[in-house]
Amino acid sequence: MIAAASNRRRSQFLESALFWAFRIGTYFVLLCATYIFLDIGIKGGRTVFTRTAPFVNLKFLSEPPQTLYVFDYQGKKMELSDREFRAWKTTHKEDVDVTSVSYSAGGIWPCIVGTALLVIGSMTLALFIGISCAIYLSEYSRDGRFIRLIRVAILNLAGVPSIVFGLFGFGLFVIFFGWNVSLLSGWFTLGLMVLPAIITASEESLRAVPQGLREGSLALGATKWQTIRKNVLPYALPGILTSSILGIARVAGETAPIMFTAAYAMRDEMPWQVSHWTNFFFQGVMALPYHIYVVSSKIPQNEYTERVQYGTAFVFLAVVMLIALTSILLRERQRRRLSW
Amino acid sequence: MSILSENAAARRRRLTTESAIKAFFGSNALVAIVVLALITIFLFREGFGFFGQNLANLRLYRRAGSEYVDIIRAQAQTHAALSRQLGEIRLQEARTLPSSSSLQAFDQFAAAFSDSGEFLNALVSDTNDQALALREALIAAGTPSAVSSAEGETPVAAAAPVDPHVAMTGLRFADNKFPTIAMAMKAKIDDLLAAPPVLNASRAQRLFESWKKRTRDYLAQFPAVSQQLHEWNPDERVPAYRAVTSFLFGTNWITASFWQDWYGIIPLLVGSIMVAAVALLIAVPLGVCSAIYVSEVAARGEKSLIKPYIEFISAIPSVVLGFFGIAVVGQAVRALSQMPFMKWVPFFPISERLNVFTAGSLLALMAVPTIFTLAEDALRNVPRGFKEASYALGANRLQTIARVLVPASLSGIISAVLLGLGRVIGETMVVLLCAGNRIAIPDFTQGLGAFFQPVHTMTGIIAQEMGEVVRGSIHYRALFMVGLVLFVLTLGINYLAQRLVARYRMSIG
Repeated sequence: MIAAASNRRRSQFLESALFWAFRIGTYFVLLCATYIFLDIGIKGGRTVFTRTAPFVNLKFLSEPPQTLYVFDYQGKKMELSDREFRAWKTTHKEDVDVTSVSYSAGGIWPCIVGTALLVIGSMTLALFIGISCAIYLSEYSRDGRFIRLIRVAILNLAGVPSIVFGLFGFGLFVIFFGWNVSLLSGWFTLGLMVLPAIITASEESLRAVPQGLREGSLALGATKWQTIRKNVLPYALPGILTSSILGIARVAGETAPIMFTAAYAMRDEMPWQVSHWTNFFFQGVMALPYHIYVVSSKIPQNEYTERVQYGTAFVFLAVVMLIALTSILLRERQRRRLSW
Repeated sequence: MSILSENAAARRRRLTTESAIKAFFGSNALVAIVVLALITIFLFREGFGFFGQNLANLRLYRRAGSEYVDIIRAQAQTHAALSRQLGEIRLQEARTLPSSSSLQAFDQFAAAFSDSGEFLNALVSDTNDQALALREALIAAGTPSAVSSAEGETPVAAAAPVDPHVAMTGLRFADNKFPTIAMAMKAKIDDLLAAPPVLNASRAQRLFESWKKRTRDYLAQFPAVSQQLHEWNPDERVPAYRAVTSFLFGTNWITASFWQDWYGIIPLLVGSIMVAAVALLIAVPLGVCSAIYVSEVAARGEKSLIKPYIEFISAIPSVVLGFFGIAVVGQAVRALSQMPFMKWVPFFPISERLNVFTAGSLLALMAVPTIFTLAEDALRNVPRGFKEASYALGANRLQTIARVLVPASLSGIISAVLLGLGRVIGETMVVLLCAGNRIAIPDFTQGLGAFFQPVHTMTGIIAQEMGEVVRGSIHYRALFMVGLVLFVLTLGINYLAQRLVARYRMSIG
């Protein structure tokens, strides 16, 4: 009896000890992530927000990146961006000992625009192909070898590393089609990259629409396409779009596929400053993730670069995380509401 | 009658529209297959020319006598390495007995040893120049096809009026020079070894003993090297399979060098595997722990908080993690290794802040959500009856988890780990920014210390070098080959994971 009791106590102790270990492990992960958010949030917040009136550093958000010039002038330390420095030069003729730090002045406006363009284009493409593919898979297909092949292809496509998509996009769009480093190449590369995720999400939503809705419509004499258009898609669409928002986060967040297909480290013109409207599709753009890569590894590090690094990382992380958060919250709501 | 026929026509028309719509959707469904096929085709298309170019590259290496010079160079390098090791021994001696008089004698010994390699080094630099001239002459003559990463620079034709045969005979004088130099060297070092300096520190003594043994071995293989030099024949064909083996098993990745380019994937593969190993070592326990915790232990409210949060983590862009690694983690790891209480670890303090461990620990954070989500799924899908039966038999929660739930979902958990591995191996930005980017196989003699050295990875090298190579050059094609290896590797991992999931579904029924 006593032996059994002590045995049980030992096993109870073991149980609670192990459960605590699990708990600590879980919260450790959450803490690590929280630390990252806080670190970037606080240090980047210093660049992006200001103490005075608009409280947002509009210059950082609305100007292109520029070179920063640092010098001593009459005992005062001057930090001027490229444009300011040239203006200053016209009024002051003296020679000053200047240190220049590339990318560290100005802002990230072209990067924000570029990322937005990339996301819009590639998501349009991916949603179009992805939803069509999902409709075929859930509405038209019967189980067979062809369908199995498609499913295997989708599964495997989902596991292909993003850098391989980059290589593929470079080989096919940039070189073989001769589109060079351009928006179009980036759209296709990124769009094909998120395609598996979109297809899976769309198919799940389509299958969640009850079979009765289809049967009812068909029984009334509607054709298959009419059924899909009127009775299946409208109900599945919110779900599809919700799940696709996570795809947006992924498209916006990836760097490797656009490195040699769409992104420029520096470009002076904005994307709409093109000579002819067709050139719009064949221009490279600056992008937030690539900009982070460039400013954090391609230029020498010093106290001035940290501002732009953390500022860019903050804006980027905030955008991506907001998208992800929206997606997660919407999905939670939908799961609760949608039970047919 | 007419109405009927009209109806039939309308129906036919409608049928064709219907089938057109169906065909449209079907063709979109085909995109997945087409893309996968195109990826394969394009990786092969761009990559496969590599082998031909690499073979030409290797043949030039032999015909220009670079291979010959490298045989001699290897000897000089071994000598230099031995000389460096003497420095390490001195460090040990000086650390334990700072002002020992034995140090002076030892320094003399080390200097004499280092000097003994003088003629050998001279021979290397002579033959090196000859081989380079010969190489340029061969490239200028267009034999056996101007290869390598002669990146746009035209070989200076005027500066290379070298007749290959004359140059080769000039180079081959080393056949006789090397044995004489080696003999002289051996005599000198033998003399030195006959009267070795006395060391006091026991660790230094041990090191010195093993050094002496290595030096004797080094001296003993001179005749074999002379023999090798004699037998070396520039006209011997390099077999075609060498183009493949030198890529798959080559331990050097040296590009844009004026001497000889090597495209061996081993250093990159080892780098990728080491980083993945560190990441999984951290991520698997954490991911599986939290999956068990959330699905079995956590309260309802806790669960609804933790799950979305971990999903949220998976959305952190990799480039931000990489930047965080550079800005914070690297410094922290190095600072930690310099703490006094970490002194007991033999390879601390570390010198490089960006290394395998830095990259691996960040990648772990990317792998945890993948592993967590899939493992939690697997645990949740274990039929309720299993759990209830276990409780009914009197098992407590821990016993149920350890003996019933985990075994029942094991293949699901393993496939979660495999998919995590696939994600980690294919990840680019974190390793590009945080792995240190030194293309070399880490020094495994340091044991676990190898995990605190910088490496380069397959994904990293593509991202770093692709932007700078000339299209169609051997270097460009080599990068596509690396991409192909990566592609095949991840496909294999994926396939394995899918097989496991399929089996797991069946076993539970």
